[in-house]
Amino acid sequence: MRPRWLVLVLIGLALLASLLANLAIGAVQIGWSDVLAALVRFDPDSYDHFVVVYQRLPRALIAIYTGALMAVGGTVLQGLTRNPLASPSTLGINAGAMLFVIVGAYTFDLGLTAQGIAALAGAVFGFASCLSVARLAGLSRDPRGLALILSGALVSMLFVGIANAFLLADPARRTDFLGWITGNINHVYADRLADFWWIGLLSFAILGAIARPLTLVMLGQEKASSAGVNITWVTRAALAAVTLGAGSAVAICGPIGFVGLVVPHIVRPFIGAGLGLALPAGAMTGAIFCLIGDLVARQAFTPYVLHTGVLMDLIGGIVFVAIVRRFYLTPGARGET
Amino acid sequence: MTLTRATDGKPVLLFSSGLQIRIGNLAAAGFLGLLALALTAMALQIGATHTGLFDLLAGLSGGALDPDQAFALLGVRLPRIVIGFMAGWMVAMAGAMLQSLARNPLADPGLFGLSQGSMVVIMLLLVFVPEAPRGLIPVAALAGGLAVALALIWLAGGARSSGLAILLMGIAVDTVLSSVTSILILYTPKETSYSLSDWLAGSLFQASPTAILAIGPWFVLSLVIAFLTGRALKSYDMGDELAQALGEPVARSRPLILLAAVLLSSAAVTAVGPLIFLGVMAPHLAGFVSPARGRARLILSGLAGGVLVVGADCLTRALAGDIALPLGLSLTILGVPLFVITLRLRALRVR
Repeated sequence: MRPRWLVLVLIGLALLASLLANLAIGAVQIGWSDVLAALVRFDPDSYDHFVVVYQRLPRALIAIYTGALMAVGGTVLQGLTRNPLASPSTLGINAGAMLFVIVGAYTFDLGLTAQGIAALAGAVFGFASCLSVARLAGLSRDPRGLALILSGALVSMLFVGIANAFLLADPARRTDFLGWITGNINHVYADRLADFWWIGLLSFAILGAIARPLTLVMLGQEKASSAGVNITWVTRAALAAVTLGAGSAVAICGPIGFVGLVVPHIVRPFIGAGLGLALPAGAMTGAIFCLIGDLVARQAFTPYVLHTGVLMDLIGGIVFVAIVRRFYLTPGARGET
Repeated sequence: MTLTRATDGKPVLLFSSGLQIRIGNLAAAGFLGLLALALTAMALQIGATHTGLFDLLAGLSGGALDPDQAFALLGVRLPRIVIGFMAGWMVAMAGAMLQSLARNPLADPGLFGLSQGSMVVIMLLLVFVPEAPRGLIPVAALAGGLAVALALIWLAGGARSSGLAILLMGIAVDTVLSSVTSILILYTPKETSYSLSDWLAGSLFQASPTAILAIGPWFVLSLVIAFLTGRALKSYDMGDELAQALGEPVARSRPLILLAAVLLSSAAVTAVGPLIFLGVMAPHLAGFVSPARGRARLILSGLAGGVLVVGADCLTRALAGDIALPLGLSLTILGVPLFVITLRLRALRVR
């Protein structure tokens, strides 16, 4: 057990380091001591302090929130579906949330809070349509869950297409959403974080509470039921927590894809399948990824500022290729994660 | 030319040169052709200026058209229909060829990322060598499509993997390439960026009489390709071993046919941008109208592709009103449900 705890502590330290780096590095370099000073003793007259507290800190918090929720979602979904490609972005959850926000904002002129609720409903709808398409396609007996991922991709394509059609219908509002729709970690969305943070916290709380029985369910249904776990309710609670958490993250900064898919694969070799440790480790690793991704997106292509979501999509796509090749196209490969 | 019966008892037209055309396929082609003409007549009516087919016919038979109507008909609507039809034809044919080649009924130049590959290379050319002559663009498109095709063969080949896995790989490659295009859009100046976004979504907005001249030669080439490769594809449908047994030089003809398919797909991308799902929809539709093989399948798929594009264009312009919905988008919205149905039918047949 000890090395696993050690890993957890190391990840925590790395998270702290990337948070500080995210706050310090930018168009204006701000020294470590100034960053700490801005956080501890905020001086309203200092420009550097203003930048750290009102621009970089909200952005970093959004990155942590999104990264943690997406990574946890990916961990749980990959475990429950026994599919190495499952994640909020590949199973239609992100696309559904995005579609509902766009449609709600365009047709019913929803305010910010209502958009958040629309995102939650959309996340559930997206996941449900992915499952029903997989069932409709009649390939659910496919042992390696290929159909599930394929229908997730198709559902996402359809939703993104419809969302784009709505965007085109109103060019004036298009510019508002164009950044958001590709996934953009930006301090202007801070008020959304202030509105929706409790949903993510609730999602973590639920998952933490059922971590033990959920681990048993992932290890095998027979084992779990013989240990006295109510499989149906544990699974439902877990899926609800994941879907709603991912939906709230999408409501804040748009769909961010890569984290949920990749982080579980990175964490698993070090931590194992037990969710008691895998959840916090996954959450922190996801947060680190988003913080660093945000930093790279802002700095790598100066003077252009890239959207974090686009960069994440690029890396995520490459990893997706690698996983498909490893799990589905290598002869004799096992479907197990 | 005589009417006889083929070995399976279906009626067939036999020409003195040995060419055989099945009556069923001929009827299907006639049906699709008539459908295309009907849709063209409809598409001519839709638009802000009040004019249509009858004005066009009157104008062609020597009557006078007023300048507004002449511009709407000859300058905008007719080129749009012609280019849409040709692009749809070529994408559908490329899809049909890929399906025979990969023996995968779900192959599609858009879903496999070939069109995205063409696009990325075109954008690279436009971004980094803006002064390059326009004639290089089709070459760039071809190079991009080929690169993606080879990458897919490398990534998915070797293993005898299922068609769905290859499809998933294609979608994965697609994701990577589309984020590359998103990044590249950042680097283009604002005004090019807007027109590029239009074109990326697959659109007919840039259709004009001169654009027909650009795509026309490729369309003619596609007819030649259909004539040359049809027979080979018929044997490919039966599997590599049988194709070789039938005297098909698989090792030599496979790369050539792949090249031809990529050529058609990239020509369509150059003209109207990527049209995803069309390459898988059209051959299935054609197969539904008349289950053909070889050359007839290519031609029928092409016709179905053209009909689908003109029809989708009609539909979106009639329904969306003044919203300018790009063609690629409407094909996607139309295509996903149809694709799911195709998957469903396929599963039923396998079971």
